[in-house]
Amino acid sequence: MMWQPFFTFFSFAKDCIADIFRPPFRTNLLFKEMELITYQSLPIVTLCLSFAATVTILESSFHMKMVIGDDALVPGFAAVLILREIGAIVTALLIVARAGAAMTAEIALKLITEQIDALKMIGIRPYQFLVAPKIVASSLGVAMLSMLVSIVALVVCGVASHIYLDLSPGLFLAAFHRFANFNDLFVSGFKGFIFGFTIPLICCFFGFQCRGGAEHVGKMTTRGVVMSSIVIIILDFLLSALISHLF
Amino acid sequence: MSTRFYNDDNPSKILLMLANLGSAVIFLLKILAHLGNLKLHQEDIFHQIWKITLHSLGIIALSGFFVGSIMAIQFSLQLKEFAALSLLGGLATSGTIRELGPLLIAFMLSGRVGAYTTSELGTMKVTDQIDAIRCLGADPIKEIIFPRFIGIICASFFLLIFGVFTSIFGGMTAAALLLQLSPQEYLREIPRFLNLYSILLSLFKVFVFSFCLAWISTYIGYHTEGGALGVGKNVVKTAALSLSVIVFADWVTSLVSESIQLLFS
Repeated sequence: MMWQPFFTFFSFAKDCIADIFRPPFRTNLLFKEMELITYQSLPIVTLCLSFAATVTILESSFHMKMVIGDDALVPGFAAVLILREIGAIVTALLIVARAGAAMTAEIALKLITEQIDALKMIGIRPYQFLVAPKIVASSLGVAMLSMLVSIVALVVCGVASHIYLDLSPGLFLAAFHRFANFNDLFVSGFKGFIFGFTIPLICCFFGFQCRGGAEHVGKMTTRGVVMSSIVIIILDFLLSALISHLF
Repeated sequence: MSTRFYNDDNPSKILLMLANLGSAVIFLLKILAHLGNLKLHQEDIFHQIWKITLHSLGIIALSGFFVGSIMAIQFSLQLKEFAALSLLGGLATSGTIRELGPLLIAFMLSGRVGAYTTSELGTMKVTDQIDAIRCLGADPIKEIIFPRFIGIICASFFLLIFGVFTSIFGGMTAAALLLQLSPQEYLREIPRFLNLYSILLSLFKVFVFSFCLAWISTYIGYHTEGGALGVGKNVVKTAALSLSVIVFADWVTSLVSESIQLLFS
């Protein structure tokens, strides 16, 4: 049965989403997950995206010199690329590697040490206790993170274009205004929301699939990271196509 | 390892980082010392390349295809404003090959190859298989780490190049399906934008990324401690660390290439 895993995944996703809206709302768990995803990942995501922004400036200037022979419009192109594309996808891929892998490992370890059965014994729904806070925290967290980090990356873009291209901040802002507008920031946030929603679903799904001993935990972690990265890339393509058609 | 001076009660974070870096460099030198007898390990290395390549070919093809199509869509948005959609093929291909293609595909590969290697080596370490090899009088770095190191570098190199080529195909498909730009028109502009220098830069980036990946995953896997729990923890560590190192390396290679270009022009 080739389609069996997909059916299993969708029934898992349905149960988890239903459990988000089921009453005992555990806000303390939500805030704990939120801290891991946003606050603790903020330095590394900011650092990586700043480097990516600088590279974008350098590479766009290479292409602009080739096409127009002038790099005064580079900041505009780079800013649109960062806001609409790189900001959300790099943030999401970093969160997968940092928080998503930890989610799979946590759930798989709890499963093989029978802590999940213990939860069921005392009458707590495991999906509601373990997965639902992660979904809410990650979808809000990645959305906020990608918007915030995109803004930081834009500032870095300004500094980089001042250093490498000799564009003054005024010229940077002028070129920036010509191409990017405020809605682009919401595109980044929207993409971040969708990515953040899928990460815990896929990672926790692979955690719950763990069978056998402790060696299987590492295998499932790898599989969860790879699968969620590829789903994010495919989703990004679909969202880009959709957004470019709508706006 | 012998460098335990940082392991006192209250180690400062920077000292700890420096000590880990030094330990990693010593580990790398130990591996590279075996470069002389490549021929001796020929079979092992080919086995590793075969295994890793076969393991991740499908994933890399899929992600390369979609990365190419994403870039084509993004570039089309900006080119439409200048009514220069015919330039899309050259610009998107050159942009993908020089920057985003190697980066995003290396992200995928670090999840696949890096995490896999770390969990394999870590399991060997915590189940004392590496100590068993040492007991038999063999050098574990020579017997286990060296073939893997070279194998990961070669396999990631091939895989990334393969992914970059698939991304050209992906961009072409996206342009044909979504933007009504025929493949002939897409391919025609590629030679205008893609020069030998860009391809060399892409190959250089790919080599640096695979080198970082091999170094980090073997180092962290070889130094796993604390049972199966430690293996899981180190897999997460490899994934996070290799991503940030790859982004950093991307910046460094772009900067170096820029200065070389300025030197020659």
